[in-house]
Amino acid sequence: MNDAVVPTHVPELTLSSLYRDHRSWLESWLRRRLGNAWDAADLSQDTFLRVLASAQPIAQMQEPRAYLVTVGKRLLVNFHQRRSLEQAYLNALATLPEACVPSPEQRWLVLETLQALDELLDGLPVLVRRAFLWSQLEGLGYREIAERLGVCERTVKRYMVQAYEHCLLVEL
Amino acid sequence: MNRDVARAAAQWLALLESGGATERDHAALQHWRDSHPQHEQTWQRAQTLRQRFSEVPQALAMASLDRPQPGRRAVLKRALGVAALVPAAWLISRQLPIEAWRADLHTATGERKRMPLADGASLQLNTATAVDVDLAQRRISLVDGELALNVPGTAAMTVHTRYGELRVSQAEVCVRQLGAGCLVSVLKGTVQVRDLSGQSATLQGGQQAPLKTAGLGAWAPFDALQLGWRDGVLTAQNQRLGDFLRELERYRPGVLRWDSSLETLRVTGSFRLDDTDRILNLLASTLGFDVQARTRYWVTLTPRVSAA
Repeated sequence: MNDAVVPTHVPELTLSSLYRDHRSWLESWLRRRLGNAWDAADLSQDTFLRVLASAQPIAQMQEPRAYLVTVGKRLLVNFHQRRSLEQAYLNALATLPEACVPSPEQRWLVLETLQALDELLDGLPVLVRRAFLWSQLEGLGYREIAERLGVCERTVKRYMVQAYEHCLLVEL
Repeated sequence: MNRDVARAAAQWLALLESGGATERDHAALQHWRDSHPQHEQTWQRAQTLRQRFSEVPQALAMASLDRPQPGRRAVLKRALGVAALVPAAWLISRQLPIEAWRADLHTATGERKRMPLADGASLQLNTATAVDVDLAQRRISLVDGELALNVPGTAAMTVHTRYGELRVSQAEVCVRQLGAGCLVSVLKGTVQVRDLSGQSATLQGGQQAPLKTAGLGAWAPFDALQLGWRDGVLTAQNQRLGDFLRELERYRPGVLRWDSSLETLRVTGSFRLDDTDRILNLLASTLGFDVQARTRYWVTLTPRVSAA
């Protein structure tokens, strides 16, 4: 090899070196926040998948751990949201009359759909979200929604525009 | 997607749903849809969106999607803080369908929890412990830390550890998994242990044995006082202070250090685990050393300098 041609430089960061050097660190970081090793292992895998799929070239990463933490935090928040949905869903299942409870296979399919919808609605203000759900799920008219929320119909219409716009932009 | 197009579609949808759309509005909408392929595409996507909402069971969807929202900042805070314990009520609630009885439970450092399970069984978690409970399978996985399980009934529960599994029925057992192995202590009844190679053995009440990758080690009798944590007590009988402090450290967040000359002092007594600072101060006054606390989380024990 000709040293005169190859300039000396820091070894380039690759996905495999990133993974090798920081995976266990990231896993213990996640574990401290999740309190268990399995979820931490899953989320750490997800984090690396995101990094792999992201537009940022790995080779140019200045602070790999800071970057991993940023991605990891986002996944943690999603994880907690999924958990809270799951819990609300199970509680709702428990209060349903026997005849209305979906079959076990159905239950997970429904949960998956709900998780997708939950992510779709994520970020909407609470009242906007609620008004939209009443309209979509219960088929309530705008006047009724306005009465329930104690706002005027024009406000409800504004909420709906906001919710539709949000969903259409998110759902790609 | 173009924000303006999304906004326009959203306004059309809201106009139609509000019931205020006139004949002319419908014509104008049709015109809008026809005027650009992206308009029509967005309109179709909106219909798919409505379809998705209409397909989920209404009551379940409403209760789940309209659950109280902690808000994004609160979620972030919780996500980034050290995870809190799932409320015990979640486990106790008998209303849940049995297959829903799954939960990850954990205790923080210094925390202990007792949870009633089905059929009079009960589970206790010691400090810094994580378990995964699946009551449908009657299975408890010990991820890390220490648990005590009492199963008075004949229906067995299994405890999974990294080094093998235990079958517990009409028995009471403590399992401690720290570092490179487990310590299994049977308090009452008989517990079947299967190691990673599939070898089975039984342990009787009063027997304690290590369970490691290599299998179950030889049993020895043990003193039930060792397991005093279940009652919130740490007991020592003529124990080296170093060993006692290493045990006590498990219950304390932060750093605890001591001068090596203190290592061989002897401790005897029962101490309430609720207040480990108090334990240190108590020992300091009886054994004669100094507690230097830079912060609550950084404590150093040093030999007492005789008063000038």
